[in-house]
Amino acid sequence: MVKYILKRLALLIFTLFLVITATFFLMQIMPGTPFNNPKLTPQMIAQLNKAYGLDLPLWQQYLHYLVNAFRGDFGTSFQYQNQSVSMLIGQRLPISAQLGAQALVVGVIAGLLMGAASARNKNNKIDGLLGVVSTLGISVPSFILGIIFLYLFGFKWPLFPVSGWGDSFSQSVLPTLALAVTPAAVVTRFVRSEMIEALSSDYVQLARAKGLSEKEVVNKHAYRNSMIPVLTLIGPMAAGLLTGSTLIENIFSIPGIGQQFVSSIPTKDFPVIMGTTIVYALMLMVMILITDILTAIVDPRVRLQ
Amino acid sequence: MSNPILRVENLHVNFNTYAGTVQAIRDVSFDLNQGETLAIVGESGSGKSVTTKTLMGLNAKNAVIPENSRLLFKDKNLLELSEEEWQHVRGNEIAMIFQDPMTSLDPTMKIGQQIAEPLIKHQELSEKDALARALELMKGVGIPNAEEHINDYPHQWSGGMRQRAVIAIALAADPEILIADEPTTALDVTIQAQILNLMKQLQKQSNSSIIFITHDLGVVAGMADRVAVMYAGKIVEYGTVDEIFFNPQHPYTWGLLNSMPTTDTAEGSLQAIPGTPPDLLEPPLGDAFAPRNSYALAIDSKEEPPFFKISDTHYAATWLLDERAPKVTPPAQILKRWARWEELQGQEA
Ligand SMILES: Nc1ncnc2c1ncn2[C@@H]1O[C@H](COP(=O)(O)OP(=O)(O)OP(=O)(O)O)[C@@H](O)[C@H]1O
Ligand code: SF4
Ligand SMILES: [Mg+2]
Repeated sequence: MVKYILKRLALLIFTLFLVITATFFLMQIMPGTPFNNPKLTPQMIAQLNKAYGLDLPLWQQYLHYLVNAFRGDFGTSFQYQNQSVSMLIGQRLPISAQLGAQALVVGVIAGLLMGAASARNKNNKIDGLLGVVSTLGISVPSFILGIIFLYLFGFKWPLFPVSGWGDSFSQSVLPTLALAVTPAAVVTRFVRSEMIEALSSDYVQLARAKGLSEKEVVNKHAYRNSMIPVLTLIGPMAAGLLTGSTLIENIFSIPGIGQQFVSSIPTKDFPVIMGTTIVYALMLMVMILITDILTAIVDPRVRLQ
Repeated sequence: MSNPILRVENLHVNFNTYAGTVQAIRDVSFDLNQGETLAIVGESGSGKSVTTKTLMGLNAKNAVIPENSRLLFKDKNLLELSEEEWQHVRGNEIAMIFQDPMTSLDPTMKIGQQIAEPLIKHQELSEKDALARALELMKGVGIPNAEEHINDYPHQWSGGMRQRAVIAIALAADPEILIADEPTTALDVTIQAQILNLMKQLQKQSNSSIIFITHDLGVVAGMADRVAVMYAGKIVEYGTVDEIFFNPQHPYTWGLLNSMPTTDTAEGSLQAIPGTPPDLLEPPLGDAFAPRNSYALAIDSKEEPPFFKISDTHYAATWLLDERAPKVTPPAQILKRWARWEELQGQEA
């Protein structure tokens, strides 16, 4: 197991290196320059370029970046001068991560419950209703839900604050819900089909033939077996949520990393773009690694290989 | 001597489907005696598995069983049990061995625990005692080094070993009736023989009754005391093993016997029964086997044959046994069997 994890970590670092390289060179293709403020004179631009090392040949810039990045230094922002990228991300990522984690927990738990309810009531009214709900949940983007929630529970029936972050927990309720709907819907559908498969499997038949009640059959046999495939779904989903939702953060004025990523693109804030991309990639890979480890823990077939 | 532990009377099972009502079991009656093995044989789709599932109360949700059907077990009609009462019967009084050992164990649960489960449920043993008993059961079904393997997961075991575990699960609570639905079909021939021997040996120890389902008459000879032949949701002939093997009367039984390899069959003389079973959405009038039966009479497509008695233990539902029916000559192979029957009778006399 330890050997397996070390191998995966080595692979992770290598992949990260590829991501850095790809992003670095792709950014060069983007039209425009970072310093396009009309008030800047050509001399000032030259000076700035020099200060940020942009006058060096590309391969030198790349090597510098790589060396610094592996030392943990991701440079300073062009946009917010004197702010280091690590600091910017360090301030904003925890906000996004908290919001994402809340949404993930709410979404996954709701999905597990609804999926199981749907499967156990296969083809009757409850299943039909949950089917409609989950189809809507998958097809309506979360920012539209965000706006709807904002209108309904922020203005029409003002139950929750409509914007801001960090002053009270209630501020996070609406954005959490808006973000949780899609994962809840995806997990519902997935759990439903896995559970239906499990409930018609031979081992569940055998469990029934032992004289177990339907509840025992579901809890002891069907649930565990349908959970394993769900885990593989949650990894990438977690990475997506924890790295913040640009639109939701904008709608609810949440100073998260998603909001900042967007503003860094039109301003060609290269160090911030690079830093954020690296964080996204890292999160994704770490989450997938964690789910693989979790899968190995709950699934004996994987564990013993 | 006959002491039925289970009586099945006029069992009908219908399935409601979008296409209509599938009449899967059409008036089946039989007895199962204490300590005996009854084999139910028949082609695919004849209703063998539906019969067993009905006996376990585990039919699909779309099954409908009319009120006059009765399954009498220990003075109660199983068909009137509540779900809770069924749970007391299942795995405790009537247990079942499934066909495919590769899929019938839970892949995420330790085998020892899976064997202990019915004990915890029915005998209210503590987990520790149940596991100790599970270990004994594992030894009893011939699992080598059982102590080392009690915490294994199913994927670590071969098919034959897994089927032994499934048998241990079925035997855990010491059931009166063991239903085995094609327990060896998924296994290769040598393992098949081992599992059948194991079942026989365990039956001797416990004096339980077995309903043994198979589509392969070949494995029946060494296993069963009596045989019921099923076709299109009905029993068409039943009798002792010798009666069915050496004095078969129903043309469908002839067909099954002809399609079964034996040591003295000439190569190439094996014949599958031509045609296919009828559509159970609309079973034909008369005898359902008539369209496939080269001996069919005019009456066969109009009226269903009743059971004709051949001996106290042997009955067959075919018009050929009616006294007005013309005498027909069965296939050569069957004539050979009949000759053997004469010999056997002579020996007994
Ligand atoms: N839930 C169901 N809904 C509709 N029809 C069903 C259902 N279950 C079984 N049947 C039908 O009942 C008939 C008998 O099926 P059964 O499984 O008992 O056959 P079998 O004798 O066990 O065959 P095999 O040798 O293939 O196992 C078949 O025609 C089958 O299609
Ligand atoms: S009753 Fe008629 S159709 Fe049926 S088996 Fe006998 S001869 Fe054949
Ligand atoms: Mg079957």
